[in-house]
Amino acid sequence: MKLSFYPGCSLEGMANDYTRSIVAVFKDLDIELVEIEDWTCCGSTAAHSLSQLMSVVLPAINLAAAEKIGLDIVSPCAMCFNRLRFSQQMIQRKLFDIPWQVTGDLRVHDMTRFLAEPSMIHSIQKRVVRPLEGLKVVCYYGCQMVRPPKITGYKDYENPKTLDRIASALGAEVMDWSYKSTCCGAGIGIARKDIGESLTKRILVKARQTGAQAIVVSCPLCQSNLDIIQKNASEDRTPIFYFTELMRLAFEEKGAEKWFNMHITDPLPLLIQKGFVN
Amino acid sequence: MAIENISEALAEDSSNKERKLIGDAENYFLDRVQGETGVNIAACYQCERCTNACPVSHYMDIKPHQVIRYTQLGWREALLNSSTIWVCLSCEMCSTYCPNEVDVAEIINHLRNMAAHSAITPKERSLAVFHQTFLEQLQRYGRINELWLMNFYNLKPNILKEKLEKGTLKEELLLGLTLWKKGRLNLFPRRSKMIKEIKSVYRRKRGDIV
Repeated sequence: MKLSFYPGCSLEGMANDYTRSIVAVFKDLDIELVEIEDWTCCGSTAAHSLSQLMSVVLPAINLAAAEKIGLDIVSPCAMCFNRLRFSQQMIQRKLFDIPWQVTGDLRVHDMTRFLAEPSMIHSIQKRVVRPLEGLKVVCYYGCQMVRPPKITGYKDYENPKTLDRIASALGAEVMDWSYKSTCCGAGIGIARKDIGESLTKRILVKARQTGAQAIVVSCPLCQSNLDIIQKNASEDRTPIFYFTELMRLAFEEKGAEKWFNMHITDPLPLLIQKGFVN
Repeated sequence: MAIENISEALAEDSSNKERKLIGDAENYFLDRVQGETGVNIAACYQCERCTNACPVSHYMDIKPHQVIRYTQLGWREALLNSSTIWVCLSCEMCSTYCPNEVDVAEIINHLRNMAAHSAITPKERSLAVFHQTFLEQLQRYGRINELWLMNFYNLKPNILKEKLEKGTLKEELLLGLTLWKKGRLNLFPRRSKMIKEIKSVYRRKRGDIV
């Protein structure tokens, strides 16, 4: 199977570990990812805040580039996925003039939902050689991936299940909680730190109250936000994993990939305690 | 009818009526917002579900349900001068849980767009400056580099001064250093070749049609 891959800006910098784990996991699953050539930023939050035109045009550049390759798009970043879908709908409704040849006919997948389809879950289960037994996790989806349901196409937007399905296929114990899709405030975190931190802290506290030892995320902004806020905490640290990182961990017999060093909250003590890594 | 008569009749007519502008009550503002966003604002019955769902309503001066009422009343100036439109995270909680499918987030986003194109100074200056810096970086390179975004944001007037006064700058620099050591920051931005196309769209937007 072949898909065109739209990484997005975060995956080039802050979420480098996410990119590396995605590449490894898709190789394991025998799916070829073709990176869209000369992709541009999707303009998330800033573009739609200040100029509606740009919020449609910027993702359209990437849609057009993907249409040239002719492969369905998969987007790992929640923000990018949301903006691509939004732009696609606007193009289909012919509400904006796009200076490039673009029809908006390709399917835009978000990575978690693509990997949570029954056939994919089946092949993931087959690949697991190191089941993550005894690892208690909560899955955190963030806001942009599930909402608004009209754009993202999620039917279970109040209680999304895609990450839960993947994590339990890996053998982890997935806990239920109420903050799956509450906003973490990443978009506001730089300019209004106080608001951002109050939102992020609440998610972290609630996850710990549920009894989770780690949080599984799929959005690069959620990860960095939840990770960085713990930088000064001396104890009671909760590692934040990308779901692809856990997948790769379960797919390998021993050892841990180097990208775990990139986390601010070191996940290795937890993995050693659980006996996954020596 | 002779032309003189028409202009006379028109002059008489306008002198009798009080001049009304957008925002002076009436339905002008409401019609405009409804027309441009396609949202049925009249469907709102002020149940406050949006405000209760909003994670940041605590920091807003006009709460989401009030935004809808203000729009119905045509209080344009109050809306564009509010902190609400800048504090909104676009997390879409309000729109998703509205029982009458009033897309509150879309309205707030549209008002933010309006404010950005008006002469009004944004109430939450730092947020507006951040969005602007983001778009400037995007125009220049086509992609965003976190380090450069932060640096250019800090160089905007008053941002650095504010940070020095609050004493948060040192913490920020240390965080940057840690992130760099962890290999999470690229020192230089990567360009996309599509930058030419982005620039041409911006030129058109400015009014250069040919």
